[in-house]
Amino acid sequence: MAKRSSHAATALLLAIVGVLMLGANFMVFVYAPDEKVMGAVQRIFYFHVPAAIVAFTSTFVMLGASIGYLWTRSRIWDCLARAATELALLFCLLVLITGPIWAKPAWGVWWTWEARLTTTLLLGLLLAACVMVRSYADSAEQGARLASVLGIVAALDVPIIYKAVDWWRGQHPVVFGPGKKDPLAPEMRATFLFCLLVFLLLYTLLLVLRTRIACHEERARDAAETVAARGEAG
Amino acid sequence: MSRPARPVSPGFLRSSWIVASKDLRLEGRTLDAISAMAVFSLIVLTVFNFAFDLTTVRSVGVSKLVPGVLWTTFAFAAIIAFARSFQTEKFRDSLSALVLSPVDRGALFAGKALANFVLVLVLQAALLPLSAIFFDYDLLAVAAPLLFVVVLHTLGIAELGTFFAAVAVRVGRGEALLATLLFPVSSPLVISAVKCTSAVLEGKPLASVQQWLLVAAGFDVLYFLVALVTFEYVVED
Repeated sequence: MAKRSSHAATALLLAIVGVLMLGANFMVFVYAPDEKVMGAVQRIFYFHVPAAIVAFTSTFVMLGASIGYLWTRSRIWDCLARAATELALLFCLLVLITGPIWAKPAWGVWWTWEARLTTTLLLGLLLAACVMVRSYADSAEQGARLASVLGIVAALDVPIIYKAVDWWRGQHPVVFGPGKKDPLAPEMRATFLFCLLVFLLLYTLLLVLRTRIACHEERARDAAETVAARGEAG
Repeated sequence: MSRPARPVSPGFLRSSWIVASKDLRLEGRTLDAISAMAVFSLIVLTVFNFAFDLTTVRSVGVSKLVPGVLWTTFAFAAIIAFARSFQTEKFRDSLSALVLSPVDRGALFAGKALANFVLVLVLQAALLPLSAIFFDYDLLAVAAPLLFVVVLHTLGIAELGTFFAAVAVRVGRGEALLATLLFPVSSPLVISAVKCTSAVLEGKPLASVQQWLLVAAGFDVLYFLVALVTFEYVVED
């Protein structure tokens, strides 16, 4: 009974996020006005920036869950860490794909070795390594342990990489920040905030679902191991 | 009625030194890593010389080109030393014995890292004069500040390399993993190394790159502490 209601809740959440995502598309493409200088291509900002915020949020979820796992050795933390790592990688890829599409018309180049771009690319590589180590490991427990250690090392590195590349060279537009007059028209601002909300909801939903699947996988493997052990004993 | 003496664990520094001297003695007798590194880095330097001949180097400027070439060569060659640092333990399955010994796991890490640090320094001591010949710059004039920059940055690279080598040796297909982990994580250090080397080759005082030196020193300390704390989770069976 509990299972059925949790399935119903998931389906309801999926439907809500789906409808909100359609609403976000409407706001991005119809409601928000064209940007004066860049024109229509600026609209990618409404997906690019929320995706980036989600990717970095997920990295910090991964850091917290990794510390939680090494501290308590409880599997739920490992499932959460695994979900957060994979989702951070997914959103990181979205950022890396949408960024150059905007950069080519706006900057005239697809790519530049600027702080945010370089940090995002390196974060993507590190997250990929964390996913790799899990699949390379001899046992699930070893994979969880090594991936947690790497998750901590990688997440700590992100601010350092950012600062280092920032000193090295800088070009990325800074839309929000201290000393900046609010540059967005009210409609743009509303669209951006709505997109951010929808992306965060989508992320939360995916995180819950992926964590749950990871826990089911662990349980299924345990069951299979128990059956195999009984077969050997009998 | 004498009770068997309880094994007394040597202190942190002493046990790190024992591990490091074991690795260095082993390397001194076989010259496995150092010969592979030397040949490999010689090839890399030669390839770079095909890409940038002396005319190009002079027109671009030694201080713009040589730091990148040097640190790329160092980083790739160092990977060889790191990858080998746990191979002996792996083949003889003596890593478990090492882990079982009554010393702090952090001391095992510190010892391994120290041995790797010395190995890479030996390689650099041979490569720097060679690069001065190949790229025609005056090494003696910049020797002291360059030594400082090289030691500071190599320390961090050796720490990270040793740590990731321990991770890589624990999993099956570890070789690809070592490079995948080491290069992104050490990127701030490599950027800093190139910046500082460039300043030194231009003849600027080290004070002009003070913030980079601070970044590198902070990086060395931070990752040494992180590795000390987390190393036991890596080597645990």
